[in-house]
Amino acid sequence: MKHRFAVATIALALPLAAAAAPETYTLDPYHTFLHFEVGHLNGMSKLRGRFDKVSGKFTIDRAARTGALDITVQTASISTGDSDKGSRPRSRDEHLRSPDFFNVAEFPTMTFKSTRVVFKGEVPAVIEGNATLLGVTKPLSLAVDHWRCGPNPVSKKEMCGANASGMIKRSDFGMKFGIPGVGDEQQLFAEMEGYKD
Amino acid sequence: MGELLQHPAVQAGAAPFLAALLVVAILHFVRLGGLAAVAGFSVAVFLISGFAFSPLTATRKIVLLGLVAPVVGVLVDFAFKPNRLGQIVLALAAGAAAAWTFMSVLQQKDLAQALLIGGGCAAFVAWLVGFGLAQAEQPVRAGAMGLGLGLGGGVAAVLGASALYGSYALALGAGSAAFLLWQVVTGKCIRAGATFTLSVTLTSGLLLAGTMVLAQLPWYSLAGFALVPLATHLPVPERAPVFVQATVASTYALAVAAGACAMAWHSSGGMPGS
Repeated sequence: MKHRFAVATIALALPLAAAAAPETYTLDPYHTFLHFEVGHLNGMSKLRGRFDKVSGKFTIDRAARTGALDITVQTASISTGDSDKGSRPRSRDEHLRSPDFFNVAEFPTMTFKSTRVVFKGEVPAVIEGNATLLGVTKPLSLAVDHWRCGPNPVSKKEMCGANASGMIKRSDFGMKFGIPGVGDEQQLFAEMEGYKD
Repeated sequence: MGELLQHPAVQAGAAPFLAALLVVAILHFVRLGGLAAVAGFSVAVFLISGFAFSPLTATRKIVLLGLVAPVVGVLVDFAFKPNRLGQIVLALAAGAAAAWTFMSVLQQKDLAQALLIGGGCAAFVAWLVGFGLAQAEQPVRAGAMGLGLGLGGGVAAVLGASALYGSYALALGAGSAAFLLWQVVTGKCIRAGATFTLSVTLTSGLLLAGTMVLAQLPWYSLAGFALVPLATHLPVPERAPVFVQATVASTYALAVAAGACAMAWHSSGGMPGS
Protein backbone atom coordinates (compact mmCIF):
# COMPACT_ATOMS: atom_id res chain seq x y z
CA MET A 1 0.00 0.00 0.00
CA LYS A 2 2.73 2.40 0.99
CA HIS A 3 4.71 1.35 -2.07
CA ARG A 4 1.76 2.06 -4.41
CA PHE A 5 1.20 5.44 -2.76
CA ALA A 6 4.84 6.39 -3.33
CA VAL A 7 4.73 5.37 -6.98
CA ALA A 8 1.48 7.28 -7.52
CA THR A 9 2.95 10.39 -5.91
CA ILE A 10 6.03 10.22 -8.08
CA ALA A 11 3.92 9.66 -11.20
CA LEU A 12 1.81 12.72 -10.40
CA ALA A 13 4.87 14.85 -9.66
CA LEU A 14 6.81 13.96 -12.81
CA PRO A 15 4.93 16.30 -15.22
CA LEU A 16 5.32 19.13 -12.71
CA ALA A 17 9.03 18.43 -12.42
CA ALA A 18 9.38 18.55 -16.20
CA ALA A 19 7.40 21.79 -16.43
CA ALA A 20 9.57 23.39 -13.68
CA ALA A 21 12.83 22.58 -15.48
CA PRO A 22 14.59 25.59 -16.94
CA GLU A 23 15.14 25.47 -20.70
CA THR A 24 18.28 26.84 -22.27
CA TYR A 25 18.43 28.21 -25.79
CA THR A 26 21.56 29.10 -27.75
CA LEU A 27 21.20 32.21 -29.87
CA ASP A 28 21.30 31.64 -33.62
CA PRO A 29 24.05 33.99 -34.91
CA TYR A 30 22.35 34.28 -38.30
CA HIS A 31 19.11 35.57 -36.80
CA THR A 32 20.31 37.53 -33.79
CA PHE A 33 21.38 41.13 -34.17
CA LEU A 34 21.64 44.28 -32.09
CA HIS A 35 20.45 47.47 -33.77
CA PHE A 36 20.92 50.99 -32.52
CA GLU A 37 19.57 54.42 -33.32
CA VAL A 38 21.27 57.71 -32.45
CA GLY A 39 20.70 61.36 -33.26
CA HIS A 40 23.01 62.76 -35.96
CA LEU A 41 24.08 66.40 -36.44
CA ASN A 42 22.23 67.78 -33.42
CA GLY A 43 19.14 65.71 -34.20
CA MET A 44 18.93 66.43 -37.91
CA SER A 45 18.11 62.77 -38.43
CA LYS A 46 18.27 59.47 -36.58
CA LEU A 47 21.18 57.35 -37.70
CA ARG A 48 20.63 53.61 -37.52
CA GLY A 49 23.18 50.86 -37.42
CA ARG A 50 23.66 47.28 -36.45
CA PHE A 51 26.13 44.97 -34.79
CA ASP A 52 26.32 41.97 -37.07
CA LYS A 53 27.94 39.46 -34.70
CA VAL A 54 26.03 38.62 -31.56
CA SER A 55 26.25 35.39 -29.57
CA GLY A 56 24.88 34.09 -26.30
CA LYS A 57 22.25 32.09 -24.51
CA PHE A 58 18.96 32.59 -22.75
CA THR A 59 17.27 30.43 -20.16
CA ILE A 60 13.57 30.36 -19.31
CA ASP A 61 11.64 28.54 -16.63
CA ARG A 62 7.95 29.19 -17.28
CA ALA A 63 6.69 27.43 -14.19
CA ALA A 64 9.05 29.22 -11.85
CA ARG A 65 8.78 32.44 -13.92
CA THR A 66 12.51 32.96 -14.00
CA GLY A 67 14.95 33.45 -16.80
CA ALA A 68 18.34 34.72 -17.81
CA LEU A 69 19.93 36.32 -20.82
CA ASP A 70 23.65 36.48 -21.53
CA ILE A 71 24.81 38.04 -24.79
CA THR A 72 28.17 39.07 -26.22
CA VAL A 73 28.46 41.53 -29.08
CA GLN A 74 31.57 41.81 -31.24
CA THR A 75 32.08 45.58 -31.39
CA ALA A 76 34.11 45.43 -34.60
CA SER A 77 31.00 44.10 -36.39
CA ILE A 78 29.34 47.53 -36.25
CA SER A 79 27.78 48.57 -39.54
CA THR A 80 25.94 51.76 -40.50
CA GLY A 81 25.94 51.11 -44.22
CA ASP A 82 29.04 53.26 -44.73
CA SER A 83 31.99 50.91 -45.02
CA ASP A 84 33.30 52.01 -48.41
CA LYS A 85 35.43 55.10 -47.88
CA GLY A 86 35.42 56.03 -51.57
CA SER A 87 37.49 59.18 -51.96
CA ARG A 88 37.49 59.86 -48.22
CA PRO A 89 40.35 58.85 -45.96
CA ARG A 90 38.08 56.72 -43.78
CA SER A 91 34.50 55.49 -43.77
CA ARG A 92 32.04 56.14 -40.95
CA ASP A 93 32.19 52.51 -39.84
CA GLU A 94 35.99 52.75 -39.56
CA HIS A 95 35.58 55.92 -37.49
CA LEU A 96 33.10 54.18 -35.20
CA ARG A 97 35.65 51.42 -34.56
CA SER A 98 38.31 53.96 -33.56
CA PRO A 99 39.08 55.19 -30.00
CA ASP A 100 36.66 58.06 -30.65
CA PHE A 101 33.70 55.69 -30.25
CA PHE A 102 33.74 51.92 -29.72
CA ASN A 103 37.55 51.51 -29.53
CA VAL A 104 37.32 47.95 -30.84
CA ALA A 105 41.07 47.28 -30.70
CA GLU A 106 41.05 47.70 -26.92
CA PHE A 107 37.49 46.48 -26.24
CA PRO A 108 36.58 43.83 -28.81
CA THR A 109 33.32 42.90 -27.08
CA MET A 110 30.42 44.43 -25.20
CA THR A 111 28.12 42.31 -23.08
CA PHE A 112 24.73 42.17 -21.43
CA LYS A 113 24.10 39.86 -18.48
CA SER A 114 20.65 39.74 -16.98
CA THR A 115 20.03 39.90 -13.23
CA ARG A 116 16.25 39.52 -13.24
CA VAL A 117 13.47 38.70 -15.68
CA VAL A 118 10.02 40.06 -15.01
CA PHE A 119 7.19 37.97 -16.41
CA LYS A 120 3.77 39.02 -17.61
CA GLY A 121 1.75 35.86 -17.49
CA GLU A 122 3.93 33.15 -18.90
CA VAL A 123 6.13 35.32 -21.08
CA PRO A 124 9.02 37.63 -20.16
CA ALA A 125 8.10 41.32 -20.19
CA VAL A 126 11.21 43.03 -18.87
CA ILE A 127 14.80 41.83 -18.68
CA GLU A 128 16.89 43.73 -16.17
CA GLY A 129 20.64 43.39 -16.17
CA ASN A 130 24.02 44.99 -16.64
CA ALA A 131 25.60 46.18 -19.86
CA THR A 132 29.39 46.39 -20.12
CA LEU A 133 30.84 48.68 -22.76
CA LEU A 134 34.37 50.17 -22.90
CA GLY A 135 35.17 48.51 -19.60
CA VAL A 136 32.29 50.21 -17.78
CA THR A 137 29.30 48.29 -16.39
CA LYS A 138 25.95 50.01 -15.97
CA PRO A 139 22.40 48.79 -15.37
CA LEU A 140 20.24 48.33 -18.43
CA SER A 141 16.60 47.37 -18.61
CA LEU A 142 15.23 45.80 -21.80
CA ALA A 143 11.51 45.79 -22.58
CA VAL A 144 10.48 42.58 -24.31
CA ASP A 145 8.36 43.78 -27.21
CA HIS A 146 7.70 40.34 -28.65
CA TRP A 147 8.14 36.77 -27.46
CA ARG A 148 7.17 33.52 -29.07
CA CYS A 149 8.21 29.89 -28.74
CA GLY A 150 7.41 26.90 -30.83
CA PRO A 151 8.82 24.44 -33.35
CA ASN A 152 10.74 25.78 -36.35
CA PRO A 153 8.29 25.41 -39.24
CA VAL A 154 10.92 23.75 -41.41
CA SER A 155 13.24 21.80 -39.12
CA LYS A 156 10.68 21.34 -36.30
CA LYS A 157 13.43 22.07 -33.76
CA GLU A 158 12.16 23.76 -30.63
CA MET A 159 13.00 27.45 -30.67
CA CYS A 160 12.08 30.83 -29.22
CA GLY A 161 12.24 34.26 -30.79
CA ALA A 162 12.09 37.68 -29.22
CA ASN A 163 12.44 41.40 -29.82
CA ALA A 164 13.61 43.66 -27.03
CA SER A 165 14.44 47.34 -26.74
CA GLY A 166 16.21 49.67 -24.36
CA MET A 167 18.17 52.88 -24.11
CA ILE A 168 21.63 53.83 -22.93
CA LYS A 169 23.54 57.08 -22.65
CA ARG A 170 26.91 56.50 -24.24
CA SER A 171 28.50 59.11 -22.02
CA ASP A 172 27.74 56.88 -19.03
CA PHE A 173 30.22 54.43 -20.52
CA GLY A 174 32.88 57.08 -21.21
CA MET A 175 32.05 57.51 -24.91
CA LYS A 176 31.83 61.30 -24.99
CA PHE A 177 33.29 62.25 -28.36
CA GLY A 178 31.00 64.21 -30.64
CA ILE A 179 28.22 64.99 -28.15
CA PRO A 180 25.79 66.67 -28.97
CA GLY A 181 26.50 66.56 -32.71
CA VAL A 182 26.16 62.79 -32.41
CA GLY A 183 23.55 62.12 -29.76
CA ASP A 184 24.24 60.86 -26.26
CA GLU A 185 21.16 58.67 -26.04
CA GLN A 186 21.24 55.45 -28.05
CA GLN A 187 18.09 53.44 -28.56
CA LEU A 188 18.82 49.72 -28.72
CA PHE A 189 16.75 47.10 -30.52
CA ALA A 190 17.60 43.43 -30.25
CA GLU A 191 16.17 40.71 -32.43
CA MET A 192 16.87 37.19 -31.16
CA GLU A 193 16.17 33.64 -32.18
CA GLY A 194 17.52 30.72 -30.25
CA TYR A 195 17.31 26.94 -30.44
CA LYS A 196 16.78 24.74 -27.45
CA ASP A 197 19.93 22.97 -26.30
CA MET B 1 28.96 80.49 -25.59
CA GLY B 2 28.15 76.83 -25.07
CA GLU B 3 27.75 76.26 -28.79
CA LEU B 4 31.01 78.06 -29.44
CA LEU B 5 32.88 75.83 -27.00
CA GLN B 6 31.50 72.76 -28.78
CA HIS B 7 32.97 73.76 -32.12
CA PRO B 8 35.96 71.56 -33.04
CA ALA B 9 38.05 74.54 -34.19
CA VAL B 10 37.58 76.14 -30.77
CA GLN B 11 38.11 72.92 -28.79
CA ALA B 12 41.29 71.91 -30.64
CA GLY B 13 42.58 75.29 -31.79
CA ALA B 14 41.46 78.63 -30.47
CA ALA B 15 40.87 77.76 -26.82
CA PRO B 16 44.12 75.79 -26.38
CA PHE B 17 46.06 78.54 -28.15
CA LEU B 18 44.65 81.29 -25.94
CA ALA B 19 45.19 79.27 -22.76
CA ALA B 20 48.78 78.54 -23.77
CA LEU B 21 49.42 82.19 -24.60
CA LEU B 22 48.15 83.20 -21.18
CA VAL B 23 50.42 80.65 -19.50
CA VAL B 24 53.46 81.88 -21.40
CA ALA B 25 52.64 85.51 -20.65
CA ILE B 26 52.35 84.87 -16.92
CA LEU B 27 54.90 82.16 -16.26
CA HIS B 28 57.82 82.94 -18.52
CA PHE B 29 59.13 85.26 -15.81
CA VAL B 30 59.70 82.21 -13.59
CA ARG B 31 61.07 80.12 -16.46
CA LEU B 32 57.91 78.04 -16.72
CA GLY B 33 56.70 79.28 -20.09
CA GLY B 34 57.21 75.73 -21.30
CA LEU B 35 53.99 74.77 -19.57
CA ALA B 36 52.23 76.27 -22.61
CA ALA B 37 52.13 72.86 -24.30
CA VAL B 38 50.36 71.09 -21.44
CA ALA B 39 48.05 74.08 -21.00
CA GLY B 40 46.83 73.77 -24.57
CA PHE B 41 46.50 69.99 -24.30
CA SER B 42 44.62 70.17 -20.99
CA VAL B 43 42.10 72.68 -22.32
CA ALA B 44 41.31 70.43 -25.28
CA VAL B 45 40.89 67.37 -23.04
CA PHE B 46 38.60 69.33 -20.73
CA LEU B 47 36.41 70.63 -23.54
CA ILE B 48 36.20 67.42 -25.58
CA SER B 49 36.05 64.55 -23.10
CA GLY B 50 36.56 65.84 -19.62
CA PHE B 51 39.03 64.37 -17.15
CA ALA B 52 38.26 60.83 -16.05
CA PHE B 53 40.71 58.06 -15.25
CA SER B 54 38.53 55.08 -14.48
CA PRO B 55 38.64 52.67 -16.12
CA LEU B 56 42.18 53.45 -17.20
CA THR B 57 41.90 52.95 -20.94
CA ALA B 58 44.77 53.57 -23.34
CA THR B 59 43.40 57.03 -24.16
CA ARG B 60 43.15 57.95 -20.49
CA LYS B 61 46.69 56.72 -19.92
CA ILE B 62 47.85 59.07 -22.67
CA VAL B 63 46.03 61.96 -20.99
CA LEU B 64 47.49 60.99 -17.60
CA LEU B 65 51.03 60.80 -18.96
CA GLY B 66 50.46 64.08 -20.79
CA LEU B 67 49.71 65.69 -17.41
CA VAL B 68 52.61 63.96 -15.62
CA ALA B 69 55.23 64.83 -18.25
CA PRO B 70 55.47 68.55 -17.43
CA VAL B 71 55.73 67.75 -13.72
CA VAL B 72 58.70 65.50 -14.44
CA GLY B 73 60.02 68.16 -16.79
CA VAL B 74 59.88 70.82 -14.09
CA LEU B 75 61.72 68.51 -11.69
CA VAL B 76 64.37 67.85 -14.31
CA ASP B 77 64.79 71.57 -15.05
CA PHE B 78 64.93 72.79 -11.48
CA ALA B 79 66.10 69.89 -9.32
CA PHE B 80 68.53 67.96 -11.47
CA LYS B 81 71.41 69.00 -13.65
CA PRO B 82 70.41 68.00 -17.17
CA ASN B 83 72.96 65.75 -18.87
CA ARG B 84 73.20 63.15 -21.63
CA LEU B 85 72.63 60.25 -19.21
CA GLY B 86 69.49 61.93 -17.92
CA GLN B 87 68.19 62.26 -21.47
CA ILE B 88 68.77 58.57 -22.11
CA VAL B 89 67.06 57.56 -18.87
CA LEU B 90 64.03 59.73 -19.64
CA ALA B 91 63.86 58.38 -23.19
CA LEU B 92 63.89 54.80 -21.94
CA ALA B 93 61.27 55.63 -19.33
CA ALA B 94 59.12 57.15 -22.07
CA GLY B 95 59.45 53.97 -24.10
CA ALA B 96 58.36 51.91 -21.13
CA ALA B 97 55.43 54.27 -20.64
CA ALA B 98 54.39 53.66 -24.24
CA ALA B 99 54.38 49.89 -23.72
CA TRP B 100 52.34 50.34 -20.53
CA THR B 101 49.86 52.58 -22.34
CA PHE B 102 48.99 49.98 -24.97
CA MET B 103 49.33 46.87 -22.78
CA SER B 104 45.57 46.16 -22.88
CA VAL B 105 45.75 45.89 -26.66
CA LEU B 106 49.07 44.04 -26.79
CA GLN B 107 47.74 41.39 -24.40
CA GLN B 108 45.12 40.44 -26.98
CA LYS B 109 47.72 39.64 -29.63
CA ASP B 110 50.07 36.71 -30.03
CA LEU B 111 53.55 37.17 -28.57
CA ALA B 112 55.37 37.91 -31.81
CA GLN B 113 52.87 40.57 -32.85
CA ALA B 114 52.74 42.08 -29.37
CA LEU B 115 56.53 42.39 -29.24
CA LEU B 116 56.66 43.93 -32.71
CA ILE B 117 53.92 46.48 -32.10
CA GLY B 118 54.83 47.19 -28.48
CA GLY B 119 58.52 47.37 -29.23
CA GLY B 120 57.91 49.63 -32.19
CA CYS B 121 55.75 52.01 -30.17
CA ALA B 122 58.27 52.06 -27.32
CA ALA B 123 61.16 52.72 -29.71
CA PHE B 124 59.25 55.50 -31.50
CA VAL B 125 58.30 57.33 -28.31
CA ALA B 126 61.78 56.87 -26.81
CA TRP B 127 63.32 58.26 -30.00
CA LEU B 128 61.06 61.32 -30.02
CA VAL B 129 61.68 62.04 -26.34
CA GLY B 130 65.45 61.45 -26.57
CA PHE B 131 66.01 63.70 -29.57
CA GLY B 132 63.42 66.18 -28.36
CA LEU B 133 65.14 66.66 -25.01
CA ALA B 134 68.27 67.63 -26.93
CA GLN B 135 66.39 70.82 -27.88
CA ALA B 136 65.65 71.75 -24.26
CA GLU B 137 68.12 74.66 -24.36
CA GLN B 138 67.02 75.77 -27.83
CA PRO B 139 63.57 77.29 -27.24
CA VAL B 140 62.93 78.39 -30.84
CA ARG B 141 63.87 75.00 -32.26
CA ALA B 142 61.87 73.31 -29.48
CA GLY B 143 58.81 75.40 -30.29
CA ALA B 144 59.13 74.55 -33.98
CA MET B 145 59.42 70.87 -33.10
CA GLY B 146 56.25 71.09 -31.03
CA LEU B 147 54.48 72.85 -33.87
CA GLY B 148 55.48 70.15 -36.36
CA LEU B 149 54.61 67.23 -34.12
CA GLY B 150 51.35 68.80 -32.93
CA LEU B 151 49.91 70.14 -36.16
CA GLY B 152 51.28 67.32 -38.29
CA GLY B 153 50.26 64.71 -35.77
CA GLY B 154 46.77 66.16 -35.61
CA VAL B 155 46.28 65.96 -39.36
CA ALA B 156 47.73 62.46 -39.51
CA ALA B 157 45.46 61.25 -36.71
CA VAL B 158 42.37 62.56 -38.50
CA LEU B 159 43.50 60.79 -41.66
CA GLY B 160 44.02 57.71 -39.48
CA ALA B 161 40.33 57.74 -38.48
CA SER B 162 40.59 59.29 -35.02
CA ALA B 163 39.32 62.84 -34.78
CA LEU B 164 39.72 62.64 -30.98
CA TYR B 165 43.46 61.99 -31.13
CA GLY B 166 43.69 64.51 -33.95
CA SER B 167 42.09 67.17 -31.75
CA TYR B 168 44.42 66.43 -28.85
CA ALA B 169 47.49 66.62 -31.10
CA LEU B 170 46.30 69.83 -32.75
CA ALA B 171 45.86 71.35 -29.29
CA LEU B 172 49.50 70.47 -28.54
CA GLY B 173 50.43 72.21 -31.76
CA ALA B 174 48.36 75.23 -30.78
CA GLY B 175 50.14 75.37 -27.42
CA SER B 176 53.51 75.14 -29.17
CA ALA B 177 52.45 77.89 -31.57
CA ALA B 178 51.64 80.15 -28.62
CA PHE B 179 55.04 79.35 -27.07
CA LEU B 180 56.77 80.22 -30.34
CA LEU B 181 54.60 83.28 -31.05
CA TRP B 182 55.49 84.88 -27.73
CA GLN B 183 59.16 84.70 -28.62
CA VAL B 184 58.56 86.03 -32.12
CA VAL B 185 56.48 88.97 -30.92
CA THR B 186 58.78 89.93 -28.03
CA GLY B 187 61.94 89.17 -29.99
CA LYS B 188 63.34 87.36 -26.95
CA CYS B 189 63.83 83.67 -26.30
CA ILE B 190 62.21 82.14 -23.24
CA ARG B 191 63.18 78.89 -21.53
CA ALA B 192 61.82 75.68 -22.99
CA GLY B 193 63.63 73.09 -20.90
CA ALA B 194 62.40 69.59 -20.32
CA THR B 195 59.15 71.20 -19.13
CA PHE B 196 58.26 71.91 -22.74
CA THR B 197 60.19 69.30 -24.73
CA LEU B 198 59.19 66.31 -22.59
CA SER B 199 55.53 67.40 -22.66
CA VAL B 200 55.43 67.82 -26.39
CA THR B 201 57.42 64.78 -27.46
CA LEU B 202 55.93 62.28 -25.00
CA THR B 203 52.32 63.33 -25.56
CA SER B 204 52.53 63.64 -29.34
CA GLY B 205 54.47 60.38 -29.52
CA LEU B 206 51.80 58.52 -27.56
CA LEU B 207 49.00 60.07 -29.62
CA LEU B 208 50.67 59.08 -32.88
CA ALA B 209 51.48 55.58 -31.63
CA GLY B 210 47.91 55.32 -30.35
CA THR B 211 46.50 56.24 -33.72
CA MET B 212 48.55 53.42 -35.21
CA VAL B 213 47.59 50.83 -32.57
CA LEU B 214 43.94 51.76 -32.05
CA ALA B 215 42.99 53.36 -35.37
CA GLN B 216 44.48 53.19 -38.85
CA LEU B 217 47.63 55.27 -39.07
CA PRO B 218 50.26 53.28 -41.01
CA TRP B 219 53.52 52.50 -39.19
CA TYR B 220 55.64 54.19 -41.85
CA SER B 221 53.93 57.49 -41.10
CA LEU B 222 55.37 57.20 -37.58
CA ALA B 223 58.79 56.72 -39.14
CA GLY B 224 58.25 60.03 -40.93
CA PHE B 225 57.33 61.83 -37.72
CA ALA B 226 60.45 60.44 -36.05
CA LEU B 227 62.42 62.77 -38.33
CA VAL B 228 60.76 65.96 -37.03
CA PRO B 229 63.08 66.42 -34.01
CA LEU B 230 66.07 65.74 -36.28
CA ALA B 231 64.82 68.31 -38.79
CA THR B 232 64.88 71.00 -36.11
CA HIS B 233 68.62 70.34 -35.69
CA LEU B 234 69.23 71.63 -39.23
CA PRO B 235 71.08 74.95 -39.57
CA VAL B 236 69.20 78.05 -38.48
CA PRO B 237 70.71 81.57 -38.77
CA GLU B 238 71.62 81.94 -35.07
CA ARG B 239 72.31 85.67 -35.28
CA ALA B 240 69.16 86.51 -37.17
CA PRO B 241 66.10 87.97 -35.41
CA VAL B 242 63.95 85.48 -33.51
CA PHE B 243 61.16 85.60 -36.09
CA VAL B 244 63.60 84.52 -38.84
CA GLN B 245 64.92 81.67 -36.72
CA ALA B 246 61.37 80.60 -35.87
CA THR B 247 60.30 80.71 -39.50
CA VAL B 248 63.24 78.64 -40.71
CA ALA B 249 62.99 76.06 -37.92
CA SER B 250 59.21 75.79 -38.30
CA THR B 251 59.59 75.31 -42.04
CA TYR B 252 61.92 72.37 -41.46
CA ALA B 253 59.58 70.80 -38.91
CA LEU B 254 56.39 71.35 -40.87
CA ALA B 255 57.93 70.14 -44.12
CA VAL B 256 58.94 66.82 -42.56
CA ALA B 257 55.58 66.53 -40.78
CA ALA B 258 53.84 67.20 -44.10
CA GLY B 259 55.75 64.32 -45.61
CA ALA B 260 54.60 62.02 -42.83
CA CYS B 261 51.01 63.23 -43.33
CA ALA B 262 51.34 62.57 -47.05
CA MET B 263 52.17 58.96 -46.23
CA ALA B 264 49.06 58.75 -44.07
CA TRP B 265 46.99 60.39 -46.83
CA HIS B 266 48.34 57.92 -49.38
CA SER B 267 47.40 54.94 -47.24
CA SER B 268 43.93 56.34 -46.62
CA GLY B 269 43.09 57.36 -50.15
CA GLY B 270 41.98 60.98 -50.40
CA MET B 271 40.08 64.00 -49.07
CA PRO B 272 38.63 64.04 -45.53
CA GLY B 273 34.88 63.43 -45.53
CA SER B 274 32.08 63.57 -43.00
